[in-house]
Amino acid sequence: MSASLFDQLISLSAGVLLLTSVLLVWKRSLIAAVRLLALQGAALAAMVAVIGVFESDLELLAVAGLVLLLKGFVLPFVLDRSRVRTGAVREETPLMNTTSSLLVLSLLTMLAYLVSQPWLALDPGPTTAAVPVGISLVLYGFLILTTRRHAISQLVGFLVLDNGIATVAFLTSGGVPFVVELGASLDVLLVVLILRVLGGRITDEFGGAYLDELTELRD
Amino acid sequence: MNIGAAILATVQVTAMVILSPILVGLMRQVRARMEGRVGAGVLQPWRDLRKLFAKESLQAQGTSWVMSLGPVVLVASSALVCVLVPLVGTVTFPLIPDDLFVMVSVLLIGTVALALIGLDSGSAFGGMGSSRHMTIAALVEPTVLVAVYALSIPVGSSSLSLIVDARLLDPASVASPVSLLALVALFIAVVAETGRMPVDNPSTHLELTMIHEAMVLESSGRDLAWLELGSWMRLGALLGLVGSLLVPWGIAGDVTPLTLLVGLLMLIVKLAVLGSALAAGEVFLAKLRLFRVPELLAGSFVLAFLAVTASYFVVQG
Amino acid sequence: MTVLVLFPLVACLALAVSTAYWRTPILCRFSGLIAAATVTVSGIALSGVVLNGSTLTAGGLLRVDALSAFMLTVVGAVGLTATWGGLPTRSAPATSWTYSALVTLFLGAMSLAVLSDNLGVLWIAVEATTIATAFLVGHHGTRRSLEAAWKYVVLGSVGVAIAFLGLVLLYAATVAAGRPTLSWIVLTQGHLPLDPSLLKVAGALAVLGFATKAGLAPMHSWLPDAHSQAPAPVSGLMSGVLLSVAFYAILRVQAVVNPVLGPGLMRGLLLTAGLLSLAVAAGLIIAQRDLKRMLAYSSIEHMGLLALAAAIGGTLAIAAALLHVLGHGLAKSSLFVVSGRILAVEGTTQIAGIRGLLTRRPAVAVPYLAGMAALLGLPPFSLFFSEVAIVIAGFQAGLGWAMAVAVGLLLVLFAGLARHSANMTLGQDSATPADLTRLDPTPHGPQLPLLLALGVTAVIGFATGPLSTLLTQAASLLVGAP
Repeated sequence: MSASLFDQLISLSAGVLLLTSVLLVWKRSLIAAVRLLALQGAALAAMVAVIGVFESDLELLAVAGLVLLLKGFVLPFVLDRSRVRTGAVREETPLMNTTSSLLVLSLLTMLAYLVSQPWLALDPGPTTAAVPVGISLVLYGFLILTTRRHAISQLVGFLVLDNGIATVAFLTSGGVPFVVELGASLDVLLVVLILRVLGGRITDEFGGAYLDELTELRD
Repeated sequence: MNIGAAILATVQVTAMVILSPILVGLMRQVRARMEGRVGAGVLQPWRDLRKLFAKESLQAQGTSWVMSLGPVVLVASSALVCVLVPLVGTVTFPLIPDDLFVMVSVLLIGTVALALIGLDSGSAFGGMGSSRHMTIAALVEPTVLVAVYALSIPVGSSSLSLIVDARLLDPASVASPVSLLALVALFIAVVAETGRMPVDNPSTHLELTMIHEAMVLESSGRDLAWLELGSWMRLGALLGLVGSLLVPWGIAGDVTPLTLLVGLLMLIVKLAVLGSALAAGEVFLAKLRLFRVPELLAGSFVLAFLAVTASYFVVQG
Repeated sequence: MTVLVLFPLVACLALAVSTAYWRTPILCRFSGLIAAATVTVSGIALSGVVLNGSTLTAGGLLRVDALSAFMLTVVGAVGLTATWGGLPTRSAPATSWTYSALVTLFLGAMSLAVLSDNLGVLWIAVEATTIATAFLVGHHGTRRSLEAAWKYVVLGSVGVAIAFLGLVLLYAATVAAGRPTLSWIVLTQGHLPLDPSLLKVAGALAVLGFATKAGLAPMHSWLPDAHSQAPAPVSGLMSGVLLSVAFYAILRVQAVVNPVLGPGLMRGLLLTAGLLSLAVAAGLIIAQRDLKRMLAYSSIEHMGLLALAAAIGGTLAIAAALLHVLGHGLAKSSLFVVSGRILAVEGTTQIAGIRGLLTRRPAVAVPYLAGMAALLGLPPFSLFFSEVAIVIAGFQAGLGWAMAVAVGLLLVLFAGLARHSANMTLGQDSATPADLTRLDPTPHGPQLPLLLALGVTAVIGFATGPLSTLLTQAASLLVGAP
């Protein structure tokens, strides 16, 4: 694989990651959110595969397969089952309206680029140029987590956060040791499964999964 | 250079005057056919213009010279935009800057003229249309600026002809993610600016859903003819801009009969394709509720903004 | 010898799997207890091995030094107190197999966390504790416990994810330095040329992430809910040792970062977090209405104190912090166990609803008062000595102003806790007529574990010998004495 093709493929997958995250913040439909997350997982897997092919690293290719399976299929599937269980289709009234969220999104993107300036100066290259995308994803995940009221939206935010961290991991160091990667993937899967069960119980108990109805514990 | 630029400018303005009504006719025809109607034919807008020019313009009581001067200002601004935007060729006058900011300002002159016409008659619908129009304009201008600015960063200059020239020389930049992101944002902004679906329904007859139509409600005869022509030329020029940025091949680099002919043909093809695509898309879209329009425009602004930040780092990295 | 390192982990896993598979009443009732006992014995054995001078490793991922051995003993001891003291009485409903299996897994995960050398495995273990305790927190199935469980899992996972980002960047720094590794011993002893700016962000993120799990302000909001809604033994385990394991992770990260960047960054972060935690706890403890929530805020207070000790640095402060971890763990778990018994007999944990406990139920009130005395830092309990040592170390390190603020806040906390406890235990219960007040002498649960726990806490403040050697060794490991 030539260097310029590598450049282009990396920036293409980074672009898809960014675009899917923007659409996740933009759209309030939870069904679309699940599909966008699957697309995001596939883009991340593609990015890992591209790095693996460029550096001829078989382990990275195996990890790319793992990422595709987990983030592209299994997690969106579990999330969709969760959504059906809670019976929700759209996030009705988020804490921050869409226009403000989108403007905050631009500010967060700027912040991500500013924060990653030291590294871009340290090690310029196509992979480090895409690190701000990973950090933006982390910040967008936080935005979704804090401004949405529905349990499924919080799950979506958590998964976007996790995707962002994985992006940074793969871009800065070609991933973490395989054992750690496996453990981390398993942890994410288990957390999502746990939140699915909890979400189901909350739906049964409260009649819906809008988390701002959970206000009985306070000081 | 001056002669060449003058010839090119004349060609562009004349072409757009002739082609814009045909473009609108084509869009209406595509829409009609897809909806299962026969349609009025591609030349119907020209027939409407001919009819309107022959009629006298009636002015409502209480209106002023704005009603008769406004449409002329609109047409003049649209013609100037056709000169500034590199539709057929990229040869420019040395003293008339075809800078991005100048183009947006000229567009704004037309926007304001239209809004004033709507307000002048003092009717409720006119005022409503004008206020909605200005709200959308306020949200669209930044997006257009930022989107084209994103494309200008690799070039280092915000002159439209230089941007198109640079894109012509470097085909890879046309397909880069930054460029695609910026063009998507620009396209959404153009749809909003020219009052197409899903922002405004150009064929609505319900006054409360009107934005553009409400402003021209009180105009008639020759005034209405100028207004329609001016609006159509804006649509043509902006779609031509998107076409030139998306597909820069065929644009004349110098003024010779052959290059001008090629450029003209390419312009016709691009306008036809973009117009048909837009019309086909409109068949499947419903008009957005007015308070959802800022969401759409904020989204397109964010895409443009992301394109700017990304292109800064593609240049540096 | 490798067997000794793997033994507690394998034992916990085996017990959990057998409880889940066979589900016999004996296993359900005792598997947590057996697991805790195994961990305690292993911890003591490993401490002995370490004091003899050898360091054990297993599989390149696990490593037992003085600090690990000490923390393992703490995990075991606190676990033993909580599981033994929390054994349900004959009349109470039997423990479900899910509860036992999860508690056993929880103990196993904490043991893995303190035994691992690889920071990645440490992270996995900490995340595993969140997973294991998620359903334990929501065990009662009420609306409140579901709310607490959701908040706990989301905030805990987000915090741990931030820590993962920090570890990822740390790994990237090692890759850039030419030797990709996440092994703690290599990071601290290997003299790798790590890039300072990258390490700064990595260290800050890792500490922030683990601080969320340790319940330090401002990421503490999940703690009062989770620790008050969980069943009492689980709260005891979480407050007593899980927070300390997260703190242990912070100490390990600090030991990696400080040699390269100097103490400034970590000191600033931990000072802020520590003082903020003390302030939050002091502010909210006075108006507390719920007993378990009050104890949870007290945990935030003690974690703040530990953060201050870590900020101060130096052998005295770290050794005192480790002693504090043991003392606080034992005292807090005893208190939570007693609070569980109070809930069982009084039917409520509202402070206003519990009156005259000393006269009505002395066998429940006396352990509570003893535990509270330990928690408040009264001598002869070891918390007195550890808190004094931390303050002295703070003054020695030039952080006198911070120590003065901390002592002031500790006094406020002392007053609040003492007042609530006095309201609950002393005096007569005026609501019930005197002739109907029957003396209830039964302790409603095993007294021996509480006696042992509080007894140990009373004694170790004075103890010298192997314990102090172990603490000094552990502290010097972290301080980086050559």
